[in-house]
Amino acid sequence: MTVVQRVRRDLAKNRYLYLLALPGVAFLIVFGYVPMFGHLIAFEKFRVADGIFGSEWVWFKNFKFFFGSQDWLRITLNTLWLNLLFMASSILAGLLLAVFLNEVRHQLFKRVCQSLFLLPYFVSWLVASMMVWALLNSTDGLVNRTLQSIGLSGIDWYIEPRYWRAILTFLNVWKWGGYTSIIYLAAIISIEGEFFESARVDGANRFQQIWHITLPLLIPTTLILVLLSVGRVFYGDFAMVYGLVGDNGMLFPTTDVIDTYAFRALRRVGNFSQAAAVSLYQGVMGIVTIIVVNKLVKTIDPEKSLF
Amino acid sequence: MPVLDTVNTKIRMQRAGRIKADVTLGERAFLYSIYASVIAFALFCLIPFWLVVAGSFTPEANLRLDGFRLIPRAFSTYSYEYVIHGNQIGNSYLVSFSVTIVGTLLALAVTVPFAYVLSRKVWISRPLSFLSYFTMVVGGGLVGFYILVSKWLGLKDTKWALILPYLLDPFFVFVLLAYFRTVPEEMIEAAVIDGANDLIVFWRVVCPLSAPIIATIGLFYALRYWNDWWLALLFIDSSANHPLQYMLKQLQATTDARFYIGNPSPRFSTVPNYGVRLATVVMTIGPIILAYPFVQRYFVRGITLGALKG
Repeated sequence: MTVVQRVRRDLAKNRYLYLLALPGVAFLIVFGYVPMFGHLIAFEKFRVADGIFGSEWVWFKNFKFFFGSQDWLRITLNTLWLNLLFMASSILAGLLLAVFLNEVRHQLFKRVCQSLFLLPYFVSWLVASMMVWALLNSTDGLVNRTLQSIGLSGIDWYIEPRYWRAILTFLNVWKWGGYTSIIYLAAIISIEGEFFESARVDGANRFQQIWHITLPLLIPTTLILVLLSVGRVFYGDFAMVYGLVGDNGMLFPTTDVIDTYAFRALRRVGNFSQAAAVSLYQGVMGIVTIIVVNKLVKTIDPEKSLF
Repeated sequence: MPVLDTVNTKIRMQRAGRIKADVTLGERAFLYSIYASVIAFALFCLIPFWLVVAGSFTPEANLRLDGFRLIPRAFSTYSYEYVIHGNQIGNSYLVSFSVTIVGTLLALAVTVPFAYVLSRKVWISRPLSFLSYFTMVVGGGLVGFYILVSKWLGLKDTKWALILPYLLDPFFVFVLLAYFRTVPEEMIEAAVIDGANDLIVFWRVVCPLSAPIIATIGLFYALRYWNDWWLALLFIDSSANHPLQYMLKQLQATTDARFYIGNPSPRFSTVPNYGVRLATVVMTIGPIILAYPFVQRYFVRGITLGALKG
């Protein structure tokens, strides 16, 4: 039986189910698969007027140009380095916050704090960038005014790239610390109460209970979170970096990531071919990482592997 | 309920045991440092919010003179009046609200039925789940997406460009799918025996049973639409189509907000360039903050579900 016959017979039997799936299928084809043709542009000297199928083929010229420039290494390293900083800091912060919150017995206090922790998750990076501007702008920002009031000189935050890895890492913890702590809290709650009880019978204090029971039992959750973010290590957080840094070229040395670079190539420079080459490079690296991560997962726990 | 009662008693005993255990000086110090860290992080989360709210109610002259302060030296609502009397804020609110409402409803209408079909044990559900899975691993790339929306679909500078690209997120499909699998098969079979077809089963049996999770996914979609500015950055030109988030972006880029805010009244001859930004921030996050107490638990639940899935 061919696939067509199979579908036709199934269609007759389950026509309403096919109807229910139809909008979703149409969406996936149009927005998930059709854009893949855009990757062809990476091999062309693309001109908007000639379209994808009419432009001149230049094969690997765009890639030669991209890998021959200084930009390639810079944006790749920035993307990897920032993602590793983000991963380590937000997982650590989420873990600590969850463990700490779990020790808080005062229910109202706990609930208020948890609400505050999650608050930054609800605002966009543009809103966050206004808050950062209120804190850091060189003339009137709270930080510089505070530095000046204690006799120190202010810092020109928006022209000094060397501070921005730290600033972005802090902000990432600000935004995702509460979110990650919720994941960890759910894992802590599922730990059997008997473990703690018998530990107390044996005379374990609070710290020993955390160290010998809670933390070891959170290792699986931590592994999942690590693998999820490693799988996306070649994808920079466009909304964050572009929201906070925008087109401020002075900060590019430490903040420019693959995604912001591709965006600028497309929208600021208008070089479609260059942008396509960059994002195809990113996509290929993304697939390679996922295959590697999947191999890792398979050796640790075959049931959790993706394919 | 008796099971719950024993659990509760257990928890109570546990708590009592814990509190009694904190007697030594070291244990107390440990507990206090935990409380101190929790408070410190809560302040770290809150202060940026407080700073913009306080700043938005500060007269422009004081912002320039004293800088941003946690406790401003003077109070004024001029920035808000200035923004509200312009035409851009009304436009942007309208765009943001209509995109969020229409977008969320459409996204649910596309996502929920699709996830339901994937959850059924029919032949088609496997290829469909591969179809959605594959897009999570292999992306279309920025350029293809840009050409698709602006050229092939011809949506440049329309509100549809802000809505259509987010109609289905495979991640939410898999969260819903996991939930739909827990709907008892007997209920669906009973409805089928009573003569219901798949549409009726879906609408009358599955949807009502899954109302909380559907509401949760709806809220995640709504938050995404409300907070998005990426699509506007790519596709929107005319200020009539600027959502609130993108209005902020425009204000950030300008040093004279007069023309963009569009306030012709002579009563507002001085332009509070700082204040305008801050007031717009507060008006942008206002609806979220107002809804926050009521929707927080849904989000907490959604985050937990998503993590379990991952």
